Amino acid sequence: MMRGFIVLLLLLAATEATANFNLPPLPSREEYGTILINRTSTANGQQPVNFSHWQHRAKFTCRVCHGELDFLMKTNATEITERANRSGKFCGACHNGKIAFRHNGNCDKCHNGEIGYSNSKFDGFLFKSAMPMTLAGNGVNWSAGIASGAVKPQTYLKRKSEDMTFDKELLLEAEMSIIPPAIFPHKAHTAWLDCDNCHPDLFNIKKKGTHFSMTEILKGNYCGVCHLTVAFPMDECKRCHPAMRE
Amino acid sequence: MKRTLLVMLLVFGLAGLAFSAGGVKKKKVHEQDFGNVVMDSNAIKTGVNPVLFEHWVHRKAFTCRVCHVDIGFAMKANESGIRAVDNMKGYFCGACHNGKSAFSGGEKLFAACSDKFTKDDLKRCLRCHSLDKSAPEREARLEQREKVFRAFAEQMPRERGGNGINWEQAENAGLIHLIDYIEGHSTKRPSMANQKDFTIGVKTEGVPEIIFSHKKHTVWNGCELCHPDIFVGVKKGTDKYSMIDLFAGKYCGACHDKVAFPQSDCRRCHTKPVQ
Repeated sequence: MMRGFIVLLLLLAATEATANFNLPPLPSREEYGTILINRTSTANGQQPVNFSHWQHRAKFTCRVCHGELDFLMKTNATEITERANRSGKFCGACHNGKIAFRHNGNCDKCHNGEIGYSNSKFDGFLFKSAMPMTLAGNGVNWSAGIASGAVKPQTYLKRKSEDMTFDKELLLEAEMSIIPPAIFPHKAHTAWLDCDNCHPDLFNIKKKGTHFSMTEILKGNYCGVCHLTVAFPMDECKRCHPAMRE
Repeated sequence: MKRTLLVMLLVFGLAGLAFSAGGVKKKKVHEQDFGNVVMDSNAIKTGVNPVLFEHWVHRKAFTCRVCHVDIGFAMKANESGIRAVDNMKGYFCGACHNGKSAFSGGEKLFAACSDKFTKDDLKRCLRCHSLDKSAPEREARLEQREKVFRAFAEQMPRERGGNGINWEQAENAGLIHLIDYIEGHSTKRPSMANQKDFTIGVKTEGVPEIIFSHKKHTVWNGCELCHPDIFVGVKKGTDKYSMIDLFAGKYCGACHDKVAFPQSDCRRCHTKPVQ
């Protein structure tokens, strides 16, 4: 009995330890952050929608779509319908022929079912924007790009959010003693996001007490909500744990 | 031995739960649905459709106080224990929805609940007991409600979050006129002078302090809605409010996030410039 229990404990410990370094495979840099949206498309005889984050974040900050336009942070969770789009909600807020291409005659620009649909345009974007480069994700340092003005994404469409400036950097001690602490800069995040994109849903604001373990982050919680899928991936350890040796 | 194992497993299980808390929103509350309350404490037992109560419909014409103080609705859904007989006697919804009362020169409000009714009256029941079990009918009704909401919201000062309506501005600008007295339920007393606006300090450096305005709140709430139940308010500084508590629905969170503008709109309260 006792032995069985010890084995169980060891097993638990083992899975925790290996999970820490189990980074998900990365798509190519032009495809990083691209999703296929298929909530009701296939069921209605349509191709899934190709959505590339890089094309959109070059022109708009995250808060525009994920705040003002009510897009949720999970693929297929948002109740996007053709009717809603045509009445100016969701995609239709811009894709109306005024800000971006309209619905009529452009079905397969979105409903093409191809994850690599926008890939060929990526190099052109790199060439034109002179973005600072980095290793993983899109291979583009978005954060440095917005700071230097290489990209100037819009921060709102109609209703401007009045957010407070909060520049505080947080020092987050790592679980393992050999790992240097992570530095969390609020400023780099508020350039793209409003407070309510993260608080209190992803991070409540309890000082000490919430532990954002790598295991949880790799499951897609906490930082992992964005930093596995759209924002720079966790392969770049040093960007959060700056004192880390390669 | 077995018991130790059970206890250990339980502890592991609970720890797992604690870590899994939070996460991305699974559903967005639409502007027309913000502040809506489903009342089903007695409805389901008696076999009728649950009631869908829309705060926005009521707050465009009445203060919060008349319902939550004078008439005595609880501040939590399904805690008032409203029954059809209460409404028929003129309590709760029946205080206004009695087939006789009319406000601001409008038409008489329909009567809520009755023990004798004809087939035609069923339509009246459905005005509140609107959450049909059959999905198409329910959807059709909700779609109709959205249209009514949109038409109203377009006339109002807009903002982000909540109903997408800045109710405070709407009232200030005279776009809505709030009724604060209901015959037979309210008593007129001379009102107390409002305290001057005061600041509430913050624990985290760099976060602007809150400027709290009694004046903005008393328009809707008087004194009794908040004091002493939600805020004892004996001496300034006695209570410590944390955002954790607030997000959990205590203090300001009793209204803000549920009916009043959401607490994630930081700058609505944290307004004092940082020194």
